[in-house]
Amino acid sequence: MAANRKIELNIKVNNKDYKLFIASNKRLLDVLRDDLGLTGVKEGCAIGECGACTVIMNGKNVCSCMILAGQAEGAEIITIEGLEGPKGELHPLQEAFMETGAVQCGFCTPGMILSSLVLLKNNPSPTEEEIKEAISGNFCRCTGYKQIIEAVQLAAERMRGGGM
Amino acid sequence: MQNFNFIRPDNLEEACDLLVRYKDRAKLITGGTDLIIALREEKLPNCLEIIIDISNLKELNYIKEEGKYIRIGSGVRHAEIANNKLIKKYAPVLSMASSVVGSPQIRNKGTIAGNIITASPAADTIPALIVLDSILVIRKGKEKRKMFLKDVFEGPNKVNLKSDEIVCEIYFEKLPLGAKSNFIKLARRNAVDKSRMNIAVVAQQNKNKEITNIRISVGSLTPIPERFKDAEDLLLGKLPTQDLIQKAGKKIAEEMINKSGYRWSTEYKEPVVKSLIDRVLNGIVEVE
Repeated sequence: MAANRKIELNIKVNNKDYKLFIASNKRLLDVLRDDLGLTGVKEGCAIGECGACTVIMNGKNVCSCMILAGQAEGAEIITIEGLEGPKGELHPLQEAFMETGAVQCGFCTPGMILSSLVLLKNNPSPTEEEIKEAISGNFCRCTGYKQIIEAVQLAAERMRGGGM
Repeated sequence: MQNFNFIRPDNLEEACDLLVRYKDRAKLITGGTDLIIALREEKLPNCLEIIIDISNLKELNYIKEEGKYIRIGSGVRHAEIANNKLIKKYAPVLSMASSVVGSPQIRNKGTIAGNIITASPAADTIPALIVLDSILVIRKGKEKRKMFLKDVFEGPNKVNLKSDEIVCEIYFEKLPLGAKSNFIKLARRNAVDKSRMNIAVVAQQNKNKEITNIRISVGSLTPIPERFKDAEDLLLGKLPTQDLIQKAGKKIAEEMINKSGYRWSTEYKEPVVKSLIDRVLNGIVEVE
């Protein structure tokens, strides 16, 4: 069996450039959590079904468990940690999730918020069906979907209003 | 996780050369939605040395119109195909199928060629590509060859491609003006779950409402994806009635049992496929 060679990885995460030397068989998920300490990225099923490991890569929501780290060379990644404002303020989606009670155990929340963010960037006034479709790759096992949909609607309204 | 070296070639030629050099000791990665699971479960042969990443190759990332054909680079993601104007116009059945693969996250990474070469009987894009009579362009080193998509499948999860070959392109003729197409996925839940069954249909009627063109493919029924010719023959040239559509459903169920044998799932699949063919045809055909 081949030995792992280290590879160089140049990556922009939450607007910060990194040059890393990592084992070639790491996934993007492993690099974000273990090398960069971004533990808001969760590992759930590890087979691309639950969406807990969702990050935004070059503007699209993807499962970071389904990407070899080397495949992210040159990519721009946003994790939940990257939503924080310059003075530490929360993103309107995060505020709305708290206000509507959309966070229960919290494990799915980072992925839910990132999938919702991609939706709202492309479609500022989504219908309920469009919200459901957008978060269909993110599982909430506390089954608080109703509150999550309400949170996305509330955040959409506030983001359209130009506030925050 | 298995061990391997990771290489990201700059162009297709370099990728082809690497594959010819390493053969069985190399694996290609694009979307990775199947390969990474296999790597993690250490299911790939021990001789694996390198993973060749072709996910960023522009040469494999295009959708274009060329005369009567639509050509899709093998690295195009499901999400792009689902939303592409050319595909929506000339092959809506493929747009429909691509839009229900996995989840948004999977559609942002998974590629059309990946769906083909994984060759899952439940793959959503395969029946759509089968009713489009798709052709694959395969490259080995500098040589190119073509083959009908239907001939690439050897059995469930098995394709007859050599380890040094790369699927570069999938192409098919645009659907003729006036032809309609439809796709239905049946699964326990809409997102993420794999299809229990799926069905892709192309149909065209003349001004007398007679069926002049009919192509049917059903996923998860037979070991190898194919068109259901007996049912097509039954419908071709006829004025469609509810009775005729039911007979076509019966033919498909018979063909399923002939090819797959009577299995534990047959009792479920037989009535379901009859009902699906009814639904998919009634969605696009003017019935007497």
